[in-house]
Amino acid sequence: MTFPPLTFEIPKSQRIQLSNGLTLFVMEDHELPIVSLTAYVNTGSIYEPAEKCGLAGLTGAVMRSGGTTDYPPEKLDADLEFMASAIEASIGSDVGNVSLTTLTKNLDKTLQMFSQVMLHPAFREDRVTLAKNRTIEGLRRQNDNPKAVADRELIKTLYAGHPLGRYPTIETVRNIQREDLVAFHQRYFHPDRTILAVAGDVKTDDLVKKLEALFAGWKKSDEPLPTVAAPAAEVPPQVLFARKEINQSAIRLGHLGIIKDNPDIYAIRVMDYILGGGFTSRLTTEIRSNQGLAYSVYSRFDVGRRFIGTFIAETETKSESTAKAITLMRDIIAGMTRAPVSDQELELAKDSIVNAFIFGFVKPDAVVNQQARLEYYGYPPGFLENYRSNIAKVTKEDVLRVARKYLHPDAMVLSVVGRDTAFDKPLSTFGRVTEIKLDTAGNGALPK
Amino acid sequence: MPADSVRLKTGRSQHTREVALMTRFKQIILSVTLTLLLCGTAFGAGLAERVQEHMLTNGMKLLMVERHTSPTVSAWIRFKVGSVDERSDERGIAHLLEHMLFKGTKTLGTKDYAAEKPLLDRIETTAEALMAEKLLREKADQQKLAVLKQQLADLEAEAGKYVIKEEFAEIYAKNGGVSYNAFTSKDGTTYLISLPSNKLELWAAIESDRMKNAVLREFYTERDVVMEERRRSYDAEPSGRLWETFLATAFVAHPNGQPIIGWMSDIENLTRTKAEKFLHAYYAPNNAIIAIVGDIDPARTIALVERYFADIPPGRTVPPVAVEEPKQAGEKRVEVEGDAEPQVLIGFHKPTLPSPDDYVFDVIDMLMADGRTSRLYQKLVVEKQLATDVGAFSAPGSRYPNLYVISATPRAPHTVQEVEEAVYEEIERFKTEQVSEHDLQKILNRLEYEEFRQMSSNGGLARNLTEYEAIAGTWRYLIEHRQKVASVTPMDVVRVARTYLVRENRTVGFITTKKEVSQ
Repeated sequence: MTFPPLTFEIPKSQRIQLSNGLTLFVMEDHELPIVSLTAYVNTGSIYEPAEKCGLAGLTGAVMRSGGTTDYPPEKLDADLEFMASAIEASIGSDVGNVSLTTLTKNLDKTLQMFSQVMLHPAFREDRVTLAKNRTIEGLRRQNDNPKAVADRELIKTLYAGHPLGRYPTIETVRNIQREDLVAFHQRYFHPDRTILAVAGDVKTDDLVKKLEALFAGWKKSDEPLPTVAAPAAEVPPQVLFARKEINQSAIRLGHLGIIKDNPDIYAIRVMDYILGGGFTSRLTTEIRSNQGLAYSVYSRFDVGRRFIGTFIAETETKSESTAKAITLMRDIIAGMTRAPVSDQELELAKDSIVNAFIFGFVKPDAVVNQQARLEYYGYPPGFLENYRSNIAKVTKEDVLRVARKYLHPDAMVLSVVGRDTAFDKPLSTFGRVTEIKLDTAGNGALPK
Repeated sequence: MPADSVRLKTGRSQHTREVALMTRFKQIILSVTLTLLLCGTAFGAGLAERVQEHMLTNGMKLLMVERHTSPTVSAWIRFKVGSVDERSDERGIAHLLEHMLFKGTKTLGTKDYAAEKPLLDRIETTAEALMAEKLLREKADQQKLAVLKQQLADLEAEAGKYVIKEEFAEIYAKNGGVSYNAFTSKDGTTYLISLPSNKLELWAAIESDRMKNAVLREFYTERDVVMEERRRSYDAEPSGRLWETFLATAFVAHPNGQPIIGWMSDIENLTRTKAEKFLHAYYAPNNAIIAIVGDIDPARTIALVERYFADIPPGRTVPPVAVEEPKQAGEKRVEVEGDAEPQVLIGFHKPTLPSPDDYVFDVIDMLMADGRTSRLYQKLVVEKQLATDVGAFSAPGSRYPNLYVISATPRAPHTVQEVEEAVYEEIERFKTEQVSEHDLQKILNRLEYEEFRQMSSNGGLARNLTEYEAIAGTWRYLIEHRQKVASVTPMDVVRVARTYLVRENRTVGFITTKKEVSQ
């Protein structure tokens, strides 16, 4: 079967700098009368004090739920929902996002409310309390899902002592007061640290005028962002275990990975695909398809952007095949470091990554957000343009070299949640076990 | 990745489920149900002109929308057969078959089908003998069991030599396919993929081969995979366990109450023979709806689909489910003890489309728990702070009468009972206070926005077209929906609330935290 050629140029959005320093990416698209906008603000939970862990997340939530100086929360909610517009805000580990969606006919009013949320959130006291109460209830429930427990305990260990390894507790949330949210917002929300990505039914000139007017008085930052030390380079291999009365174990294996500026990123992407990426990966083929031991099994290098990222392999299997699945996963990971991959594996991985590349650009809002993120995280110019050719250059030797350099099958942290009395072999087979007691008071997990 | 193939509306509970998905990417689709989608997916005049229809002589329906936003295309195939169409000894077969249809054909996934086939037949005979012996339970002959198990393992190893692993997936992946997936619901089974648009012929070749020549190889290993899926989504997942227990309690007769994935012992007794019977009866063009959305030329697409699918003979029409759920005679309550914090589900039996009352539920639904201004959110989450999250949706399917479900997450120290009482107070308001014109307008404004939003993704559009064509008999339902909702009056809401949202029609399911088990 032959296919007609497909030409694909990466769609380009327009990049514009506003007079207050705010960066704007716009892509006009008039197919449908709707507009979407997302702000990327340079902040994150990495900047919150340990004793107030949860502050960044609460600031993001209450920026929206707590109303603004002009719009009390009730009016903000009612007006937005009546127009079928939405504004949402959140702050994650290394970015704050405030987004907007609206019908074109309601853009002006929604945009005005959006600027209010960005510049003048009121953080009304009762809404701060409400958000804290909901967060605390979430913490009380953080051990309900065994997969989430296994994930969390692994991350806490890989980033021990670093903000990325910190999780809120009921106590740290109780420490947070309204003035902390106000101060956090004031410190980090500035136009020179903000990128806006806009797509849809807008006229660029018109939008720029509106944004200039709405964000006219917004002051640039007058202090640098705090420096956050890098995570510890070495994480000793260890076995973490949390007991739950369930018939299937959640298994996570991992170690620290790479950061985005690493020139081996392309070879690692190809290796990743072969080891644990697609439905044809080695992990899925052996553990799921050949042995029927799991429904879901995969691995991935999560490339770090500000700090080193992780390599994590994960699965769930019935209690009775827990050790068997762990052993297989370790062997399959180690296998990548022992011999080159086959020509067929290499070609499949490269073809798949290269040919599926266009799916990152199927919607105008995906295009502008992609470009905003690349700039936000400081990817080098040409990263996207050269991505496919960089993947195509990867050889079997490259894959073996990066497997040996970046995979550490003998130095992984193993995190298991399940019913140990039913395991096929004790977890101590894999190293000294640290048992984690799941604290039902929601104070996080503490070693017994 | 395929997360965008099925969307949750904002603020919705995630309790409704479709099971299955072959790929790891999205193992369970937590989906809003049809009624919610109806709320969200009425399209304007734009869609009416843009959908092109074509019917093949074998009964297969093709729906197309031409969109040149990117050089990509999404293709969805929906079979109008789902888990409600299973007999009691077939529970789980629609879903297991969905997995099996990824295992290849007489030419794909095998090195030599002629040599492989006799081995597959011997595997089946051996597996059936093993299952029959196991069903004797304590009277089973242990030695015979051991022999049969060994024989089965040997035969599977022998047959495995002919297998080319995941050849469908490999071909699609090599050609840039993404979102290669499938899911099974109460109502139907769907196979989906997105491809660069120059590869559409590859899709036609693979999917027509799958429809004509599927071979259910590696059946008993895949059955083990499904058991792991069951443990992952239901046994070891408190909210999943509550969901299936709640449904099985609400329905005593209708298969809507049975789990899509099957109970564990159902799965343990499924055979390739049963799966093939189901396959050959129903997986035929007259039960199939195809939607192709994206960078296509409709005339050439029709020619392509004709070329690959026209020679497939029609199969049986799926017979209607005869059993009707008897009228509920009083409140039903069910408790699930678990290593988890409390959650509660409250369900009321209701009719499904095309009943006019179904539209009234769309109105109730959007006022009840959709968004920050909704009544339950305002009352339970903001004012009284009895709960941290609330949701409302119709479930578990839409071909047969279903449930209106309200879900809530209590906030300690508040109890399930306190949450229930507050929910019932809000329900009573629907029976006594008329809904305002402002509220009705808010709903229509929301529907207007959703009409356009849903058109912004090839996959989302393909999903909606196949779903409504299958459930409502025509995709045009999407267009008519907003007009129908607009005709709902405040008195309709009062009448429907008084008719259905009553105690004796109610099922309540909740999780009670089990005290820590001592070692």
